[in-house]
Parts: sequence; structure tokens; C-alpha cells
Amino acid sequence: MPLLSEFYKNTTVRITNINCGADFCRRLDALGLFEDTEVEIIKNDNFGPLVIKILNSKIALGRGEADKIYAEEI
Amino acid sequence: MQKKSNLKVGLIGNPNTGKSTLFNSLTGARQHVGNWPGKTVEKKEGSFKHGSYEINLIDLPGSYSLTSYTEEEIVTSAFIFDENPDVIVQIVDAQNLERNLFMTIQLIELGAPLILAVNMIDTAEKKGIEINLGMISTLLGIPVMPIGAKTKHGVDKLLDTIVSQSKRLGKSQMKLKYGTEVDEELSKIKDFLKTNGYKSSNMEWTTIKLLEGDLRVEQDMTREPYYLQLKSLVEKSVSHLETVFEKNIHTILTRTRYGFIKGLGKDTIKYSENHDQSLSDKIDNFLTNKFLGIPIFLGVAWLMFQATFKVSTPIMGLIERMFAYIGSQSLSILEKIGASTWTQSLVVDGIIGGVGGILVFVPIIGILFIIMAILEDSGYMARVAYLMDKFMHRLGLHGKAFIPLIIGFGCNVPGIMATRTLETKRDRLLTILVNPFMSCGARLPVYALFAGAFFGANQGWVIFSMYILGIIIAIIAALVLRIFLVKKLSSPFVIELPPYRWPAFRGIMIHTWEKVWIFIKKAGTLILAFSIIIWLMASLPVGVEYGSQDSFAGTLGETIAPIFEPLGFGNWQSGMALTFGFVAKEVVVSTFGTLYGVSDVSSAEGVTSLSTSLHNDFTPLSAYSFMVFVLLYIPCMAVLAVIKRETNSWRWPIFVATYTTAVAWVIAFIVYQGGLLLGFN
Repeated sequence: MPLLSEFYKNTTVRITNINCGADFCRRLDALGLFEDTEVEIIKNDNFGPLVIKILNSKIALGRGEADKIYAEEI
Repeated sequence: MQKKSNLKVGLIGNPNTGKSTLFNSLTGARQHVGNWPGKTVEKKEGSFKHGSYEINLIDLPGSYSLTSYTEEEIVTSAFIFDENPDVIVQIVDAQNLERNLFMTIQLIELGAPLILAVNMIDTAEKKGIEINLGMISTLLGIPVMPIGAKTKHGVDKLLDTIVSQSKRLGKSQMKLKYGTEVDEELSKIKDFLKTNGYKSSNMEWTTIKLLEGDLRVEQDMTREPYYLQLKSLVEKSVSHLETVFEKNIHTILTRTRYGFIKGLGKDTIKYSENHDQSLSDKIDNFLTNKFLGIPIFLGVAWLMFQATFKVSTPIMGLIERMFAYIGSQSLSILEKIGASTWTQSLVVDGIIGGVGGILVFVPIIGILFIIMAILEDSGYMARVAYLMDKFMHRLGLHGKAFIPLIIGFGCNVPGIMATRTLETKRDRLLTILVNPFMSCGARLPVYALFAGAFFGANQGWVIFSMYILGIIIAIIAALVLRIFLVKKLSSPFVIELPPYRWPAFRGIMIHTWEKVWIFIKKAGTLILAFSIIIWLMASLPVGVEYGSQDSFAGTLGETIAPIFEPLGFGNWQSGMALTFGFVAKEVVVSTFGTLYGVSDVSSAEGVTSLSTSLHNDFTPLSAYSFMVFVLLYIPCMAVLAVIKRETNSWRWPIFVATYTTAVAWVIAFIVYQGGLLLGFN
């Protein structure tokens, strides 16, 4: 399964799995980022954080964090 | 029933929803700012009258949910639990309703007396988002009001609703359906609690939180005699549900909540197709561009630094001269009335000098915070964090930590105050701890004196090397402290990039005034206390000349001098200058002036004669070692005072004072002894 950080900008993906500790998971929940949600990749420079769009808001996500999230293109 | 005319109202909401704007427009300048007990999070309160009611409004820190991820969230949920507010107003951004409603659901489950204030509904309409507020109100079972935090539209109506809601103390009757499987497990836990006689004002909520493994509820339960039984029951339920759904328990519950919100959104929010790129996105393409983003930011940071210190320097000069004038006037008055020299010195050097030493920081702090507030409110600060995270995160620092560190080059006091922009306590602490190594403006006169006296043509490079050394030590310190001290792993980098907007002038002024006032009140009193202690040490025992070799401070300088022998400057003058350098690092220069009998260290002849005298006690190598020591050793008292204020504990300023001095000694030792080995002198 590809990682969230492997998708190019302007693709819409569905989150399939998140490999996160309790605190980090709660944080992502609150932002609306959890399994089965749809996310748009706004920016991915292959270096540094990604910018994604969830529920109408732009979120910057560290690359290390994005590497713990699996997704599939839709 | 007795009429209650005092209302306690909590204002809650996601960051960037206009919460502070609403708070400012309701309370105006009648705000009280403090800290939440035992926390580094700011607590803002304000009171105002509405009709016959006195409303006490508490601004809860911006947070995304009611869990305990950040200190802000802990503070927020503790307020709702423990302080029994009459009404909770949640302000939500109409453009981002679904995400905001996640917290609404948690608040409703908690049974909070909730009113939803929907902000920026006109902006949402312009973007083609249509919202049926009446229907949301019906579905959620709570009042929903449109407001414009900036324009004050609908604010009066909101206040009317607050008053009427408080009379009913209405709780929403809405109940989220988690599905048969989950509901079964919930009622098992509930039955267990009931049979064991557990009483709770909100049983539903307690059971859900137990299932979620909420730390706070669990801690409450450890007090009950049946805690272990309860724990195994909950564990069984959780593992049962996780097997059935093949998902983590949190995912199950979160999905239900968002599922409900999605359903609600379908019925009440209409999005018209609008594929145009918004202005905000266009600005982002430019400001967060892969190649341009960082150069633009460095430009902004340079401008910010220049503006802060260029604008404040003349004002600071004015304040210094004003206090010098007040000092000399008071002196002549005291002389006339025949006060003892001891009293004269106490008033002039101790008190007036001390107060001046506090107020001299006000222009820097004021201007810096105006600029910081503009960056923050416009939404640019979040982009800075995004841009700088690439580099900063290798040091274990947050992207936003870059700004407090650059500010440190001007002065560490506002640099440390600027760490407020960081979200987690860990990030804040780490940035505070390394900030003193950023070579501040007050150290420059010391470098200038020594580099000028010993390095002639190369003095520019020598001074430059000090700044670089400071940065290198800060980086090493960050890496080491991250491992040993701030044990929690680097906090995940997840931040919202809010749409750009114009900052509200009034809010910025209120915010800046608060910062300045807190500094004067909290840090100022400490600085004054330090000043008076230093004054006492410099003037006791009775009869000695102020700051002379015979005073306690002089004796202290002499006593500690041998410690610096291996660093190349074991002379008593250095010991004394370093002791007085605690007041402010530039005082090192004037102390040498006094000790070598040079009256005016700012004049050209003064500098020359001081340089000549220094040649008796220093070699170029020991001068360099001394500069290194001044760069790194104990930060000035104002810095320690703000560290105390920002961390809300004495532990950290004491730690900083100790570790920086230890680092300074070791590095200066390496420089001097290494230099000797290499054949320098």
C-alpha cells in the first residue's frame, strides 16, 4: 500500500490505514483525518511537510507523519 | 428561584475561527490576563454588562477537540468540568463547518450548556456555501446564531440568547447513535457503574469516555473500590468491538461522530461548484513556493528584525536618557536635603536605575509583538512553520521556533516571550532553553571592546565568529537537550494553514498592550528585585565606594576569579566584570571602565585608554576566550525573569543559569587551552 507522502499534488486519495500513537491519532481525528476519509494533496515537494486538504481546510503535515499514513488513489 | 445576575460564560472554538476577535469586541480593554493555575497557557477573562446581567467571559484557548493532546486542550476540558460555566459559546467558522462540528459533538455529549455562534457566514456565502442554520439548530438541539465577529453583526442577539439559555440551563437532548454493537457494550458498562452506586451528572459521557480510554475519566475511576473490575470489563468491551469492526476503538467512535456530521452536513449545507482558485490559494502558490518561499521568508524575517531594533533603539535611548536625567535630578535633590550617600545611591542606582532597566525593554517588546501579531493574524506564521520545518525539525525544534531564535539576536527577552507562538509545552521549553545562546545586542559592546583592542584589522571576523559559535552551540544544545531533558519525542508536525486575512488592528493593539503589561508586571518586579540585590552587593559593607573592589560584589568577583584561571582570565577585574554582567551583559564594559579608572567608556579616548589597560591583563587568546565566555555564560537577569514567567516555575531559570555557565566554562577552556597547545598566546 502506498504512503501518503508518495502521491503527487492535485491527486485525491482515500486513507486506508494510519500507524499512529494514541496522542497523534487523537490529534488527527480532531482534524478529520482518519481511515476512509478523502484527502486532496495540495503540495508535495518531496522534501519537508506536505500540504493536504481535509474538510475544506489546508493542513501541513510533517513528512515523518505522512510516512505513517497509507492511502490509495481514487 | 433567585434571579442570578452574574453569568460565567466560556468562549471556545478551533484556532482561526475569530474567537479572539469576538472576545475583544465584547470585552474591549477590560480584560484580565493571567495563567491557568500550574500551566504555561494564558488565561484571559473579561467582564461586561448586558441588560441586568454581569457577564464574565472566559476565553478558552483555541483547540480542535476535548482530548488531552495539548496543554490547551487539557485546560479547556478542565474548565468545562470543574468550573460549572453557565453557558459555553462555541464559535465556528462557516467555511469549515464540518471540521468545527467535531468539537460541537464532543461538547454536546459532555452535556455542556452550549450555544453555537457561526462566524463569517457572509464569506462562506461568497464562496458558494449555503448553510441552513435553523435546521442545524433543530438537529443538534441547541441554539445556533449567525454572527460577524469583526462587524459585530448579531452579537447583541447572541448575548440575548446567552442570557435566556442560562435561565433554562438547557442541555441538548440529541443522542448520538453508535450502533447496536457499541450501544450494547456501553450499556454493559453503564449497568456495572449503576449497580456499584457510581453517580455522575452525565452517565452517557462517562461510559463513552471509559471506552475511549480518556485519561481524565480513568484517573477519576482509580479512586473507586471497583476500579480493577471496571477496568477489565472495559478492556473486554474494547477488544470485543475491535474484533467485530476490525478497527481501533477510536476509529470506530470517531467514524460514528464524523458519520453523523456528514449526514447533518448533507441536509444543511449546500456547496455550489466553484472551481476558481481562491485568492488565498494564489498567495500561497507564491509564499510557500518551493524555491521562493524560504528567500521571501528570510526577507520578511530580516525586515522584522530591522524594524524591531531600528525603531526601538532611538526610543530606548530616549528612555535611558530620561532615567539618567531623573537620576541626576533626584541626586541633586537628595544632596540638598542632606540624605546620606548610602540613601542617594539606593534611590539613584538601585531604584531609579532598576525601573529604567525594566522600561528600556518596553519599546522592543511592543514593536516586536505588533509585528508578530500581524504575522500570526494574517495567517503567515503558519506558513513560516511549514517552510522552516524542513530544517528545524532535524534539530528537534518546531518550524515556528525559527522566529523566536532570530529575535534572540536582538534581545533574548522578547525572543523568549515569542515562544508563545509554539503549541506544545515541549517545543516551547526547548526553544526557550537554547535561546540565550543567540548572541544578543547587549553582548556586542563587549565584543567590540575586546576585538577592537586585540584583533585590529580582523575584528569584524572575530565578532562574526561569536555569532556563528552561538548558533553552533544552540544547535548542539538543542540536540542534546532533546535526548536527555525534554524526553518526549518530537511532537508531530500537524498544523492548519488558515486562509489569509487582514489582521484586526484593535485586536493587535490589545494583544500587544497585554504582552507589554505582563512583562512590566511579572518580569519587571523580578528584575527590580534582582537590581536591588545587586545594588546591595555593590554598596555593602557600609562605607565602601559603590561597585568597588571592597564591596561584597567585588569580593565575590575576587573569590570567583581563580575559577577562570584555566580559561586565561583569572584576574580579579574579569571576575568582577562578569559578576556585574548578570545585570546586563553590556555592563561588563562599564565595569572594566570603572575598575581601570576610565570615566567615559563611550568616548573615543575612553575606549583607547581602556584598550591599553586591557593589554595588561589579557593576551589576544585570553581575550578571545573571554568573549566566548561572555557569549555563553549565564544570561542576564531580565532573561531569567522572563524564563520564570514563561515556564511558570523556578526550575527552568535555575537550570538555564547553571547549564549555560557550565557550557561557557567548558568551551572557553577548550578555546584557551587548545589555543595554547596550538602555539597561540
